[in-house]
Amino acid sequence: MPVRVIVRTVSELCITVGALIVLFVVYVLFWTGVRADRAMNDQIDQLQRQWSKATAATTAAPGGPASQGRPGPYVPGRPFAVMYIPRLGFTWNKPVLEDTAVDTLKKGLGHYPGTARLGQEGNFAVAGHRRTYGDPFKDFPRLRPGDAVVLTDGSTWFTYRIDKGPYKTVPTDVEVIDPVPRKSGYGRPGRYLTLTTCDPEWGHSHRLIVWAHLDAAQPVDAGKPAALRR
Amino acid sequence: MYGWIWRRLPGNAWIKAMISLVLVLAVVYVLFQYVFPWAEPLLPFNDVTVDNQ
Repeated sequence: MPVRVIVRTVSELCITVGALIVLFVVYVLFWTGVRADRAMNDQIDQLQRQWSKATAATTAAPGGPASQGRPGPYVPGRPFAVMYIPRLGFTWNKPVLEDTAVDTLKKGLGHYPGTARLGQEGNFAVAGHRRTYGDPFKDFPRLRPGDAVVLTDGSTWFTYRIDKGPYKTVPTDVEVIDPVPRKSGYGRPGRYLTLTTCDPEWGHSHRLIVWAHLDAAQPVDAGKPAALRR
Repeated sequence: MYGWIWRRLPGNAWIKAMISLVLVLAVVYVLFQYVFPWAEPLLPFNDVTVDNQ
């Protein structure tokens, strides 16, 4: 009788562990995506509201449109821009948040603190999930030199063009986000952009990098940049 | 284990089945809401930056 009880309990435990693993896989593959899509849409909505308010304020006070249009300092964990990469899909757009904390990257792409501001001299570096949490950079290896990476901070459209990548490196290779990354082929200071994600798709042994330079900037009043028009 | 729980539940078979279902849903909710969000960052999918190693 005790043997029977032991066998039964052990098999029940095995079934329970199996069910737990299946549930966890469902959570990682499916539920994080559902949650992240919702969180990213929230972030973008928040930005749109903020920007429309700023535009209203500018039109209400025509005294200083130049100073009104200046975006403020980046707040950690808060969105400040939206990124579009036509190569990853015509409807692909993700919010960019300040800092690369685990919780920040659940809500969008993360801007490395300490790297340049959007469109400024230096290297504007951004990290994103390859898999889980909405898979923002799932198709990262499909990026090619010449592809457009378009960002807006509500007052200006910035169009970056990819020059090099995807370049595979190791996680400790911090100089890829230097103001002038040595391996990118850039020889002098400029307005650059670096995107990083993990490689292989489900691993963390390496990183994939692309580098781009600022190709064009235009005010939002001038309409969408050519790269986003079909 | 499950037999023990089943015997502890009140009512006839239908009521027991309903209570079991509610219990299962409650467990799944707790897992998705609290346990998995805690366990997920221990996996490698979060390492997408080049400096926090």
